[in-house]
Parts: sequence; structure tokens; C-alpha cells
Amino acid sequence: MIEIERLDDVARAPAPGPDVRVLAGGTLVMRALNYGGHGIGRILRLTDPALREIHSEGGGVRIGAAATMADVLAAPDLAALHPAAQVVGGPAIRNMATVGGNLFAPHPYGDFAMALLAANAQVHWADGRAEPIEAMLGARGRSAGIVAAVTVPRLQHSEFRFRKVSRTKPKGVSLMSIAAHLPRAGGRLGDVRIGFGAMGDRPLRATGAEQALSGRSLDPAAIDAACAACLDGLAPADDPLASEWYRRQVAPIHLRRLLEEVR
Amino acid sequence: MPKIPVRFTLNEAEVGLFVEPQSNLLEALRRGAGDLSPKYGCGQGTCGACTVLIDGEPHLSCLTLAEAAEGRRIETTAGLAQGSSLHALQTAFIEGFAAQCGYCTPGMLMAAKALLDRNPRPSREEVIDAISGNLCRCTGYEPIVDAILAATEGRAA
Amino acid sequence: MTLHSGRGFACINYPIGMNLGGDPAQALVHSTPDGKFMVTLSAIDLGQGMKSVTRQIAAEALGVPIDDVYVDTADSDTGPHDMGSFASRGTHRVGNAVIRAASEARAHMMEAAAEELEVSPADLDTDGAGNIHVKGAPTRRITVAETAIAAQFKQGRTLSGRGIFLIEPSGVDPDTGEMSPVTCFAHAALIIDLTVDDETGEVEVTKINSAYEVGRALNSRLVEQQLIGGAWMGVSHALYETTEPYYPDRREGPLDFNAYLMPGPGEIVPHDIAILERPAPDAPFGGKGPGEMCANPVLPAIANAVYNAVGVRIDALPITPEKILRGILAQGGARPQGQRG
Ligand SMILES: Cc1cc2nc3c(=O)[nH]c(=O)nc-3n(C[C@H](O)[C@H](O)[C@H](O)COP(=O)(O)OP(=O)(O)OC[C@H]3O[C@@H](n4cnc5c(N)ncnc54)[C@H](O)[C@@H]3O)c2cc1C
Repeated sequence: MIEIERLDDVARAPAPGPDVRVLAGGTLVMRALNYGGHGIGRILRLTDPALREIHSEGGGVRIGAAATMADVLAAPDLAALHPAAQVVGGPAIRNMATVGGNLFAPHPYGDFAMALLAANAQVHWADGRAEPIEAMLGARGRSAGIVAAVTVPRLQHSEFRFRKVSRTKPKGVSLMSIAAHLPRAGGRLGDVRIGFGAMGDRPLRATGAEQALSGRSLDPAAIDAACAACLDGLAPADDPLASEWYRRQVAPIHLRRLLEEVR
Repeated sequence: MPKIPVRFTLNEAEVGLFVEPQSNLLEALRRGAGDLSPKYGCGQGTCGACTVLIDGEPHLSCLTLAEAAEGRRIETTAGLAQGSSLHALQTAFIEGFAAQCGYCTPGMLMAAKALLDRNPRPSREEVIDAISGNLCRCTGYEPIVDAILAATEGRAA
Repeated sequence: MTLHSGRGFACINYPIGMNLGGDPAQALVHSTPDGKFMVTLSAIDLGQGMKSVTRQIAAEALGVPIDDVYVDTADSDTGPHDMGSFASRGTHRVGNAVIRAASEARAHMMEAAAEELEVSPADLDTDGAGNIHVKGAPTRRITVAETAIAAQFKQGRTLSGRGIFLIEPSGVDPDTGEMSPVTCFAHAALIIDLTVDDETGEVEVTKINSAYEVGRALNSRLVEQQLIGGAWMGVSHALYETTEPYYPDRREGPLDFNAYLMPGPGEIVPHDIAILERPAPDAPFGGKGPGEMCANPVLPAIANAVYNAVGVRIDALPITPEKILRGILAQGGARPQGQRG
């Protein structure tokens, strides 16, 4: 096992890959190890306390990759993201599951990453690179490296909405989750971003719905148009919780409910 | 691979063990420290039977790397009773018929203890959230929620 | 969106145990030298309360305090044969075997006490508090502990008993096929109230009302515990649990308890229970045991309530939101069946 005790150590660490695996909260990696390891040779443990910090930076908030969902919930600056962090597993999972790990969590997981996608977060790699979260998620599985942090713009709580549809509550994995950033200026919506979780192999943007709403006022006609275009950009599949058919059927309904809540 | 030395506090006692690399804390507690109170349910984090407190907060010991317990303070159900006097939660579980097969009970107790240590007067919703990561196959949860609420009533305000 | 409420009813006659091979249960009872009693079974307590109820039954049949009775279960090497924990048979079958074993041990205990008190065993009685006394003369007595010591060290007698309960096989009438597969039934009726969301097919069970006839409720808290937990399991089977979500297609089976669904503490359904006591003649102190029937009627009652709410008849479990939504769309919308009364 290799411990990354200081962020500078990252340079000397072997590149993560199928053989060397980053262990953050461990809620997915330990499970793989418990069931035989699946070829995980070495573990890179992130123990540098700096990786767990959450603090304001410029116009936004920097969240260390090793910050847990519980850490997010304890940060008043991240109030808009609390509803997303609150529904990641039960309390024990929230004490363990990290923001960095959520970026890599496969379907149906990644509720928090999906909220970050709607919030237009930036992903900061330990080697200094930074990229929009959408690009990071799109290249997931093909890129190697250690994520050091994500930065999110400061969000107005009233302009950010999150909804998770699960069969069991309060803990239950997503049948789908939806986050919408609905910035408003002068009675009209600005650039709307809508993310869907569990509606593809990674968190995806509902680009059709975004276009239907951006620059319009959030009236019944705009909501109708957004719901009609809701599936553009999404790629749902069957899983044990629901079929692709069901997901397609109810996605516009849950989007409508989320949008009508806002008005 | 050589075993790895780990030291931690288990229910106020100092424990030193050698653990297998990449093994989990649940195994270290059960096989290494001989504390059989945390249970192995699924090994996937989805049942909660292995819930223990680390530095006062609930964690799934099956998903915790054993080495990561170094220097931490661990609490399990085995440490709940003080001598022959049971913890208020244990008494409430017994009186409220909140266990049947009992396999989930240690995890439920630790999840509930974490809540009450932080929030001695929780609402019903807070109790439900606190045990939401713990599965029970027998009781239908209601007697467990009621027992946890009953345990809070026994405490001084 | 409309939430449609529906109400469904189901009732059940539940056979206690089975008749194949007579469904035997055995028990052994023996005293320790200090006058405690050990009940040895290989029947299994998997949380349903077998140990508690057989302990009560043994204490009652022996006439000794319940604190002085121990029950050792679930070792088929050291315990006498038992068919197992299934078919709601535990209280009835094992309880009857325990009564027989405990009665035989009691007879030996009374003989030993009679020898010490120099009276006839028929003149003795127990007070349930650890004493054996001459009927009508409570001061002429000996403790159970003293009796056990005398039996063991002076009289050379064991205070022990063997019990077996076997149902008499019932032959099949060759002309009519008639037979009596079981001797004892428990009964229940149950009403489910729920809502169905007609846009998503999601169901929320809002209330359960039930009445259970269980013979005598030998331990009313245990009976209630069974009924609450069993109803939860019924809801779970009706609406959530499946290893093959796309049956008969084997795709996408759940691999963990995140995907194998069961209702959690957020889905607790308020449940009003009426326990009706009608002691059964061939049951131990009249108790039949709630067993499996605490889950069974929930399933048809939920299916009926869904039909009542939106007019969709689902006949394959679990009743998922998808099945309901497909049904609603196929019939061109929800068709509430209306409620009478
Ligand atoms: C019972 C249960 C319930 C759950 N419920 C939910 C839920 O509701 N919603 C949800 O979204 N998820 C859920 N999860 C999944 C999981 O817990 C979360 O997605 C969590 O955020 C993963 O983070 P982690 O720190 O535990 O990841 P780990 O297991 O430590 O790592 C996961 C993956 O990410 C990689 N990784 C982690 N950190 C970094 C980094 N800094 N740089 C590069 N790679 C990294 C690891 O190498 C690994 O491949 C659940 C899991 C369980 C067991």
C-alpha cells in the first residue's frame, strides 16, 4: 500500500490504473477487495488532510477530493448541494463516501457528481490540470490520474434544485436523479443546466430541456417544451431497478415535478 | 505479503494486531481482536450489520481498510454495557421487542448510539434516517424506531 | 398527476404444520441437580420466538418458575429429532411435544417429592414458585431444588421426560379423494389502503388493518411482533423483492441489497392489529402460532387494492411501478373502481 500523505507525493506515486487503485472512502474499492480484488495490486491511500478541505476560492468553493458527503453537509457554503449529498447512502456511507470517489462511481451511483455537473464544476487533477466536469466524466475510464479537488461556482440555493427518485427512502439508490441550475435575471432564466443521474453510463446533461428553458421565463409553455425535449442527451438502460422503457416514460414527469416546484 | 501492524482503541482498550494487507476492519475486529459483536452480512456495505463507530461516527467496518484504523477510536456493541448495567438502547430494544433473529441488532444499536450521542432528542424522521443504512429482515423497523425513541425518553432532558 | 386511493381485502385459512409423515416433533426435558430444568430440542429458533414460547410451555407444564427453565435448540446431534421450522408448526408441534416431555418429568418430580414428604404423589401440587406442597396444607412442602437433590443423590432417580407429537396419518378416500391434510387452522383477514400515482405507477401503502385468530396468544408481545414484521415482509414481497426483475428473462438480476429492494424504515406502514383468541383443542394451551400467515394475505390484498385504485389487475409479483404504469397506459388511463360503504 502506498499512502499519499502530502499532495506533492502524488508526483512520485505510480499512475493509478487497473493495477494501482486510489482508495478514498473505499465504499466501492473495499467491496471489490472483499470479493477477491479483481486484479487490484496496489492501493494508493489519500491521507493528506489538505485533500479533505472545503474552502472558498475566488467566486466559488473548492472541495477537496477526499471530502466526504458528511463534510459537504457540514459546509454552509455548499447549502445548494446539501440535498444531493444527503441522499448518498445512509449515515455510515455519507461518513465514508468521498466527492472524488463519486466522480468515478459507476451507474446507478454518482448522484453528487451529477449535481456537480448541473452546477458546472471544474475538476482539478493532482498534476495541475483542470477541466470542466463534463469533459472529465466523458473521458472517465480512459484517463488515469488523481483528482485533487473540484471547484463549484457559488450557487443561489433558490436557483438550484435536486430530486432523487428511488424506490426506497430515505436510503435508496437512484432510479434517476435530476439537478437543475436555473439562474434568473429580470424574470427570465439565464443559462440553464440540467443533469440526470442513472440515465446513462455516467451523469448526463439533458441538453434539449436546457435549450427549451434557457432565456425563457419559467412558464407552463416553457415547462411543456422542456419536458417534451427531456430525453435529448440521455441514454437510459435497463437495470434491476427499472427498465429503459420505464425510465424514458417517467423522466419527463419527474422533470416537470422538479420544475413546477421551483415556480 | 507481510502482515501489517495496526493499533487502535477498541471500547476504551488499547489493541494491537497484525492484519492482512487489503483486509477490512470487520475481519480485524472479529478474528484479530475477538470482538464478535459486529456482524458480517454482505461485505458490500449494503446491509449495515457491521456498523461500528470510528471516532464517534458510524462507519461500515467491512468497507474500512483495517490499516486505516491506526490510531482511531473504535466502539462496538460489545462495549455498550457498563459492567452488568445495559445501555439505555439495549434496554429499550429488549423491552420494545425490537429484535427477532438479532443479526442486525448490533449494527442498529451502533447507528442509534451515534445519533443519540450527537442528538439526544431526535425526531422520528431523524431516527429513521439514522438507521436507514441498516437492513432488518424480521421486525418491519417500527419496533426498532420506537425502541430508539423510547431510549431517548429515559434520558434526562 | 392524480393519486388514486384504493382498498383491498384478503383473508386466509392457514394450515398449521403438514401431514406428510405425521410431521413429528420431539422434546426431552431433564432436571439439573439444583432443580432447574433443561428442555432439549432440535427445532430451530430463527427469531420467531421458539425458545421463549417453549420455555413458557415447559414451565407451565412442569409447574415451576419460568426462570428455572432453559431451552437448548438447534443441534440435531444432541437434540431429539424435529422436522424443522416451517409451515407455522413450531408452537403447535414442538409445544405439544414439550408438554408431553414436561408432564413426564413432572410426574417423576412429584414421585420424588412424595417419597421425601411420605405422602402419595396424587396428594401433591406445585405452586409455580419453586415449591411442591400437600394439597390443602401449603406448609407441608419441599422445594423443587431439594426434590432434585434428593432424587439425584438419595433416591437415584432422574427427573426427566420424553415427548413426541405425531399427527395421525389421514388416508385418502379412494372414491372422493377426501382426506384431512391438517388438524388445525389459523385464520386472518386483512385490509390494505394505498395510493397509486397514475403518472409513475408508484404505490404507497398507507394503512394496514388486520384481524388474526391464532388460538391462544401464548405470548402476546411475540405474537404482535410476528404480525408487524410479517406484514412488512408481505409488503416487501408484494411490491419490491425479486431476483429476476425481467422474468422470465434472466437479465439484470440484483447483485446486492442496493438493487435487491426491500422497504426500509422510511416505508413503515401504520398497522392496526386485532388478535382474536379461540384456543384450539389440539394445540398447546390452545396456541396455534401466527407463523407464515402474517405475511401471506398482504400480497393479494395489495393486488386487490391496486386494482381498486386504478383498475389494473397485476397477477405477477412483485407489483412494480412499471407493471402498473404499463397497465394504466394500456387501458387508456386510470380506472378507479370506486369504493362502497
Ligand atoms: C450501501 C451503499 C449505498 C450507496 N448509495 C449511493 C447513493 O445513493 N448515491 C451515490 O452516488 N453513490 C452511492 N454509493 C456508492 C458510493 O458510496 C459513492 O458513490 C461514493 O461517493 C464513492 O466514493 P468513495 O470515496 O467511497 O470511493 P472509493 O471506493 O474510494 O473509490 C471509487 C473509485 O473512485 C476512484 N477514486 C476515488 N477517489 C479518487 C481520486 N481522488 N482520484 C482518482 N480516482 C479516485 C477509485 O480509484 C475507485 O475507482 C453507495 C454505496 C453503498 C455501498
